[in-house]
Amino acid sequence: MYKLILFVLIFVGIGVPGLEAMAADPAMMPPVLDGKQRDCLDCHRYPNVNTNEGAYASQAFCMECHGEKACQKTVNDQQISLRVDLESFKKTPHTYTACIQCHTDVARSPHVSESGAVCTECHAVHGEEEIHDPHLRVDCQACHHASKYVSLDSETAKIRLSHTDDKNLPISLIDHTLSDVADAQFCNRCHHAENKVGAAAIVLPSKSFLCILCHSAPFAMGHPMFWIAFIVFIFGVILTIRFWFKGSVEGEETSLHRKVSLASESVWQVIFSRQLFALAKVVVLDVFLQRRILQESVRRWSIHSLIYLSVLARLFVGLITYFAYETAPDSSLALALLNKNNGFTAFFYDLTGLFVVLGIVWAVIQRFVIKPAYVAREGQDNLAIAIIGVLIGLGFVLEGARILMTQIPFSMACYSFIGYPLARLMSLLDFNWNLVYPWLWYAHAGVGALLIAYFPFGKMRHVFNTPLTLMMNYRIK
Amino acid sequence: MAEENSQEAVYIRFSVLQRFLHIIVMIGFTGLALTGFSLKFSGQWWASAFVWLIGGAGHLAYLHRFFAVVTYACVVAHILWLIYYKLVLKGRLTGPQTLFPRYKDFKDLIGHMRYFFGKGRLPTFNRFTYWEKFDYLAIFLGMNTMGLTGLILWTPEFFSRLLPGYFINLAQVLHLYEAILAVALKFVVHLISAHLRPEVFPIEKSIFNGRTTREKIMREHPGEWEHIQTIHEPS
Repeated sequence: MYKLILFVLIFVGIGVPGLEAMAADPAMMPPVLDGKQRDCLDCHRYPNVNTNEGAYASQAFCMECHGEKACQKTVNDQQISLRVDLESFKKTPHTYTACIQCHTDVARSPHVSESGAVCTECHAVHGEEEIHDPHLRVDCQACHHASKYVSLDSETAKIRLSHTDDKNLPISLIDHTLSDVADAQFCNRCHHAENKVGAAAIVLPSKSFLCILCHSAPFAMGHPMFWIAFIVFIFGVILTIRFWFKGSVEGEETSLHRKVSLASESVWQVIFSRQLFALAKVVVLDVFLQRRILQESVRRWSIHSLIYLSVLARLFVGLITYFAYETAPDSSLALALLNKNNGFTAFFYDLTGLFVVLGIVWAVIQRFVIKPAYVAREGQDNLAIAIIGVLIGLGFVLEGARILMTQIPFSMACYSFIGYPLARLMSLLDFNWNLVYPWLWYAHAGVGALLIAYFPFGKMRHVFNTPLTLMMNYRIK
Repeated sequence: MAEENSQEAVYIRFSVLQRFLHIIVMIGFTGLALTGFSLKFSGQWWASAFVWLIGGAGHLAYLHRFFAVVTYACVVAHILWLIYYKLVLKGRLTGPQTLFPRYKDFKDLIGHMRYFFGKGRLPTFNRFTYWEKFDYLAIFLGMNTMGLTGLILWTPEFFSRLLPGYFINLAQVLHLYEAILAVALKFVVHLISAHLRPEVFPIEKSIFNGRTTREKIMREHPGEWEHIQTIHEPS
């Protein structure tokens, strides 16, 4: 008898509060829906979300709670709605996407997302042309979500959507409509003078394809000034080639058609013959490694190689970056090479930039301080050295300003072994770097455009002439 | 065209531009044929295998258009060269030593057949024999047809604003049958002309190195040899 009473008391004591708890626990779905008892597999299954009906079934499952007005969370005593408006969601491009295809980590208990929506499950990152590499640190949602409040997360150094507005009140981010990225005003979300996310005060153009000489670049001209530089460059090249064909070619003096025929015939015969290997040897030893200068003077070879081989290495890496992104934009190789803060990329570009600076400085010392007898002082030499020197100098200053403006932590910036200390020094100046950075960018881009335009007109023409001469004289030791 | 280059009396038959364009057209035509037939006969096992190799049906369509642009760029370059040849170099586009078809070519065809059956002498061919002219014209006209019908199929919305809708169907039919014709001609006529003729077996090299010898001209194009002897040609 006492055992029975004891048993009943224990059962009631544990069972009844347990049942109440189950009913009150928001994480548990109601076991009865529309009068029907549910099976385990009604909830604990993964529909085939690659079909439209599977996607709809998956959406309906989440909508059981998230379609209700009561679906809310409390943040700082504020009720934030978590109710999704399915009708407006079906008007977005993601209408046939299941919730869990983006919100990849919510189908579990606890029902909280750590990563937010993961767009890269289906989409590749943007490249140089659309938005260029600084946006690799920006969450997709920060631009593509309708909410205009963004913030810089100091732990991850990423720019994300802010869960509070500018009055620090919590906001609901449940609206799934996308922002209109074609609208010209759209970029002002971050790109204004008082922004706190480390963006430049104005929207800057992308690099031009002309910049591939030293940087990773998209297949686009960018700003109109690059078009002008390119046209001037082509004009100079045409003038040069026209000048070359004023002379006689294999005895032919007058007919340009004959000269072109004879010249192209010689080129064809060399390419499609055994001579090609002798030519290749000359290209490697004389054009790339500059053997002839090395035989004359180690000092001159060193000055020239510090500049030339560094630029050549940068061009090579720039081309690899371009092809890596075009063929495999999701690959870790492409993303690493595009990311200016990646360890290898930052170190490589700082190192080669340093070598160019050393070469320029040494050349200036040779030219103006030591002044050996064979240095001919022509203005054109100095102009080329000056343009390149100013370009690289501005480049390093720009890098320092970028590190300072974007507020990246030391753990990320440490590989820029020149840029980071420079940023530290520049931080002593009390500037609003959001405003200064665009000026520096346009200065650097302008000098770069000037260099390209100047190429065929000054001594820099040797970049084309010398390899051509060396290849034509491949038989001469 | 005719030039003493060395002791062996070498003559330049094809300029560097023509050799270059021929190589590019070779590659482009092969690419077009492979991708085109894989698109049309996509149910066949060999088409599936090819699609698997190159990376998907979408890429197949892209490659077909890529090769189309490459090949048609060569056609455009050739047409520009023809204009340059006529206006600047003051060359002839019609005449016995050109690729333009003449009544003599038809007579040469008959005469050549009679020669095969022992009924007559070998005709005196000019610079381009009738089969070489046929080869050239088939490609020149064929590539323009394929280009136009292909463009109609590529942008049907644009063309149906200019032409009645059934032109798209017409373009489909023409594109397929011209393709079959072009590939069949390459596999029969061009194969024989460039590889299987006894005079040139295994391969006629002059389209690649641009040169031919005096003996070859005298033997294979005696009409041209006479022409070279009697007049002084412009370069």
